[in-house]
Amino acid sequence: MNVPPLVLDLRVVRPERRPVHLWLPLFLLWPLALVLGVLALLLTMVADGVLFVLGRRYHHYTILLVRSFATLGETRGMVIRFSNEKTAVDMTVQ
Amino acid sequence: MSEDRSRILDLLAGGKITAEEAERLLDALDTHAGAAAEPAGPAIKGDPEPLIAALPKYLYVKVLAANGDNVDVKIPIVLVRSGLKLTSLIPPLAMDKINDTMSEHGMSVDFNNFKPEDIDELIGGLRDMEVNVDAKNGDTVRVYCA
Repeated sequence: MNVPPLVLDLRVVRPERRPVHLWLPLFLLWPLALVLGVLALLLTMVADGVLFVLGRRYHHYTILLVRSFATLGETRGMVIRFSNEKTAVDMTVQ
Repeated sequence: MSEDRSRILDLLAGGKITAEEAERLLDALDTHAGAAAEPAGPAIKGDPEPLIAALPKYLYVKVLAANGDNVDVKIPIVLVRSGLKLTSLIPPLAMDKINDTMSEHGMSVDFNNFKPEDIDELIGGLRDMEVNVDAKNGDTVRVYCA
């Protein structure tokens, strides 16, 4: 598994205005995400157990949650740039 | 002694072939047997690092609109792979809604047809993919992997 995104680098440039450069430390959110993730995992495990006992075909919420976190972790390296005559936005997930 | 070798020696003993011809046939037989007996090794011989490095790492989407709006997106291939795998886990009710919404917007892609085993093949196919759209109004869209 890759290292989850550490920093979100956001630059906004507009003519005749001061450029904005935000450096958002995503790694500070990891402990919070871990706590919320564990709580959500407990809930999904209970839900999956109940759905399984009830005989429902779909009981994969736990795997869905884990894969969702894994997908978020793979966003590292993504770059989104938008520009027109008035604004230029550059967002990089590092 | 193999059956073929025995037959060649019988032909030589019967005077039907010369010693030189028998030698050539035996050599050919040995070569063929050696090739057949060669153990199946890995498909990639040597250091696989250069081949892995040559695989595309990112999916690029570049949109140049005629009105001056430019969008440039670089998406890691691992994210595409992970996202596609995630589609197979989406609850059926939610998936039906996604498919309906996609269909309403002119994209009749049924994500129920995405199977995890097909995803690797799909990702592999992206390597050679390149989409270039030049619209009448001057908009251009380019999608490729590198």
